[in-house]
Amino acid sequence: MDNKSIKEPIRKKWIWIVLVLIVLGNVPWYMPAGSYEPLILGIPYWAWIIIGFSLLLCGYLSWATLKQWNIVEDAEEAEKRGELND
Amino acid sequence: MTDLTFAGIDGVLILSAYAVIMLVIGYFSGRGDKTLHDNMSNYYLAGKNLGFVALFFTLYATQYSGNTIIGYAPTAYRTGFAWLQSITFMTIIIGVYLLFAPRLYVVSKKLNFITPADWITYRFKSKAVTILAVLLMLWGLGNYLLEQLVAIGQAASSLTGGTIPYQVAVIAFVLVMLIYEWLGGMKAVAFTDVMQGLVLMVGIVVFLGGALYLVGGNFTSATEFIANTEPAKLGVPEMMTSVNWLSMILLVGFGAAIYPHAVQRIFAAESERTLKRSFSRMAWMPPITTGLVFVIGILGIALIPNLNEAGSEQLVGLMANEIAGINGFFYWVMIIFFGAIVAAIVSTADSVLLSFSSIVSNDIYSRFINPNAPERKKVMVGKVTGVLAVGVLLWIAWYPPATLYEIFVLKFELLVQVFPAFVLGLYWKRMAAQPVFWGMLAGAVIAGVLTWTGHKTVFGVHGGVIGLAANFLIAVVGSYLVTVEATEEEKEELKKIDLA
Repeated sequence: MDNKSIKEPIRKKWIWIVLVLIVLGNVPWYMPAGSYEPLILGIPYWAWIIIGFSLLLCGYLSWATLKQWNIVEDAEEAEKRGELND
Repeated sequence: MTDLTFAGIDGVLILSAYAVIMLVIGYFSGRGDKTLHDNMSNYYLAGKNLGFVALFFTLYATQYSGNTIIGYAPTAYRTGFAWLQSITFMTIIIGVYLLFAPRLYVVSKKLNFITPADWITYRFKSKAVTILAVLLMLWGLGNYLLEQLVAIGQAASSLTGGTIPYQVAVIAFVLVMLIYEWLGGMKAVAFTDVMQGLVLMVGIVVFLGGALYLVGGNFTSATEFIANTEPAKLGVPEMMTSVNWLSMILLVGFGAAIYPHAVQRIFAAESERTLKRSFSRMAWMPPITTGLVFVIGILGIALIPNLNEAGSEQLVGLMANEIAGINGFFYWVMIIFFGAIVAAIVSTADSVLLSFSSIVSNDIYSRFINPNAPERKKVMVGKVTGVLAVGVLLWIAWYPPATLYEIFVLKFELLVQVFPAFVLGLYWKRMAAQPVFWGMLAGAVIAGVLTWTGHKTVFGVHGGVIGLAANFLIAVVGSYLVTVEATEEEKEELKKIDLA
C-alpha cells in the first residue's frame, strides 16, 4: 500500500492533543464554583462557554473524521467504479 | 412513569400502528434474500453492505434510546446546567471511534470478522482472553437489554393510561421485535432504525416546541425563575462535579464506542466512505438530541417545580400531559411522540439483542462447541438463544432479585474493560495475551466490587474508570515484562494488520 496517500488519525499526534484541549475546555473546572451571572438570553455565562466548546468538539470531530481519515477509500471507490463499468 | 391522562385508546391505536410498520419493514427487508439465514455475515451484518442512510440511522437509533429522553430530562431537572455534560459525553464517542475504527474497519474487511471477539481471538490467540472478553460483553449486553425491556413496558403502559398493562405492553413489543429481527436480521434492524431514528428526532423537537409554548416562548423567564428559587442549578458546579463530569466523558466515551453492537456497525459498513460520512454526521447529533433534552429538563424546573427525586422521574410524562392539553394538535403530537419513545427503545433493544445472538453463534457455539456446523445452524442457534435470553431477562425484570440487584446494573463499567485489549492491540505489537487477561480481569473485579459495595464513584471518579486505569497499567507494564518470542508466522500475521 502506498504510504503517502494514507491518512490515519492515530498517526497524527496533533489531532489528539487538540482533542484533549477541547475536552478540557468542555468541563467547567476553570470557572468559580457557584457563579452564574451575567445571564445572557437567560443562559449563565459559563454555560455559553461550555456550549461553545461542545459545538467546537462536534465540529472538530466531524471535520477530522472526513478529512484526516483515508486508508482504503480511494481503492474501494475505484473498485466500485470499475464494477459499474464492467 | 405516571399514567398519562391524555391517552387511552388513542395511544393503543398509535402504538399498534408503530408495531405494524416495524413488522412490515422487517418482513420486506428479509424477503427475497435467500442466503440471509445461511450466512452469519449476511444475517448479523447485513452482508457488510450497509449504505449511508441505513448506517447513519442505525448508529443514531442505537446510540440514542427512548431512555435518552425519559431518563436524561429528569437528570437535567435535578442537576441543572451541569447536565450540559450529556452533550460532551455523547460527542466524545465519535472521538474514541476515530482512535480505532479506521484500522479496525480495514482489518475486519480483510479477515471477515463477525463479532468483536473475532478480533480479540485473531490478535491474542488465547482462549482465556477470548472467553473473558466474551463474558464481559455478554454480561454488559444482557444488562443493557434488561434495562431497555423494562423501559418499553413503562413507556407503553403509561402512554395508554394503563389501557395496556405494563406486562402486556412489554410482551407485545418484544414479540414484534423478535419477529422482525428473526425475519430480517441486521437488515431489518437497520431499516427499522431509519423509521425509529426519524420519529425520535422529530419527536424531541416537537416536544421542546410544546414546552417552550407553555413557558410563553420565553426561555429567559424559565431561568429567571430558577435563579430566584434554586440558583445552585444555574451556577458553575463544584470541583467534585467537574471531576465526575470528566470521568463520565471517559466512561461513556470508551464504553459506548466499544459496545459490541457499536463495533459491529463498523464491520457492517459498505465502505470506508460510508462509515466516515456516517460518523461525521453523528458528531453533530448530540446538540440536537441530548442537548434539546437538556433544555426540556431545564424548562421542566419552571413548569413543574419542586418534584422530589422519585417525582422527577415522571417529568416527561407530566410535561407531556400539560403539552397535550394545549390543543388537539399537540394532543395527537404527544401521542405520536410517546409512541416514538417506545419505538426508540425498541430500536436500541433490537440491536443489542442481535449482537448478543451473534456472539453466541460465532464466539461460543461456532468457536468452542461445534465449529463444523453448517452456517445456517450457527445462525439458528444464535436466534434461538436470543429468544431464550429475552425470556430470562423478562423473568428477572418482573421478579427482581432482592439482593445482588446491583450486578444487573453494571454495563459500561464491565464492558469498558475490553478496551485496552481491543484498541492497544491494534497498534502495539508487543502487547501480550497474559497481561491483557489479568488486566481485564482486575479491571472488571475492581469496577464490580466498587459498584457492588455502593462506591459507584470515588472522589467523583467512576469505579469503571478506576478499573480501566488499573487494567491499562497491568496490560502495559505486564507486556513490557513478558518477553514473548513471536514466531515468523505470527510476525507475518501481525504484518497483515499493519497498514504502513
